[in-house]
Amino acid sequence: MATATLSNLRIASVYRRRIESAMAERGAVISELDDIDELVRVHGARIRRFVTCSTGDPDLAETIMQDTLLRAFKGRENFRGECSLSTWLTGIAINVTRDHLRSGRYRFWKQLKATAVDVHEMASLLPSTSVSPERRMLAQERIKELYRVLETLSYNQRTIFLMRFSEEMSVDEISEILGMAVNTVRTHLHRALKAVRSKLGAKR
Amino acid sequence: MTPDISKHLADEALNDVLIGLGSLESDAHLVRCPECRSKVENFRADMNLFNSASMAWSESRSGRPAEASWHRAAPRIRFAFVSWSAAVALLLIMAITLWRHSAVAPTNNINMVESQPLDSETQIAQDNELLQEINAAIGSDDESPIQEYKLREGPHSRLRPQSQ
Repeated sequence: MATATLSNLRIASVYRRRIESAMAERGAVISELDDIDELVRVHGARIRRFVTCSTGDPDLAETIMQDTLLRAFKGRENFRGECSLSTWLTGIAINVTRDHLRSGRYRFWKQLKATAVDVHEMASLLPSTSVSPERRMLAQERIKELYRVLETLSYNQRTIFLMRFSEEMSVDEISEILGMAVNTVRTHLHRALKAVRSKLGAKR
Repeated sequence: MTPDISKHLADEALNDVLIGLGSLESDAHLVRCPECRSKVENFRADMNLFNSASMAWSESRSGRPAEASWHRAAPRIRFAFVSWSAAVALLLIMAITLWRHSAVAPTNNINMVESQPLDSETQIAQDNELLQEINAAIGSDDESPIQEYKLREGPHSRLRPQSQ
């Protein structure tokens, strides 16, 4: 009898600790959401990168990043902690991007002139590691090649590819955010991977 | 028993591994097969390079103040401004031309009519004299150049050649 009570107490203690930890984590996230400067500092660069690689337009990505964080800040009460904050923000960024791409105004300006990513600049910003200049140059070439292959993919394929391999989301998370069946997400990933691996593999 | 690694993972299975949906068999094969393992590692290495560079690029843009962002957008805005200015100028020129044409043209007509001097009696008499001289000249027996073609005029027909 005494053993059973002790066991119950241990289980209750473990659960209490888990709940406290989850609450502390949620509290930290909520406080992060309360400060828009902090949001920009922590998540701005990641969202900008994702949207830039997804749309191929850095200026548009800047606008979308700001819209996303502003929308997240205004709707922070809606964050229920069912996924990580970065996943939630990526979901908002995808919706904001979709709105921009659908708007006629964006299409007009896009036709007028859109900025493009300077892939040479991107590759040149590869953090320096202790490798020879030759290896570094080869690495930069691979980055450029990968970016060029991504440009050839459809918007959906590219976005899903980036969500999986840059944002490190699971297939289930991608499926939930995009409102797509898991099998559809998988098909897009397979097609994107086939293109990327065939282009990169051939040059290795 | 030596495991058979001569059969490599099919592309589909390899992609599933990369996606994170690899089967236990695929995982077991990767442990044994260096060739398939290197394919997976190469792809991951490429993605790591890409993610590092793109993140560094994005962070470098965060550091830029709004002013720098304006400078980047400046050529585009300048181009748009010049295009719009040219279009507005063209429209203005067209509108002014049309307005002037519609407003000024009737006035000119009136002026023209008004500026014509009234015919004097002498002038009318001179004109009549001239016309009579012309009439006399035409009515002479000189052969008309049209007769050279031997054309005849019917009551309801055009001029047609005379039958021989």
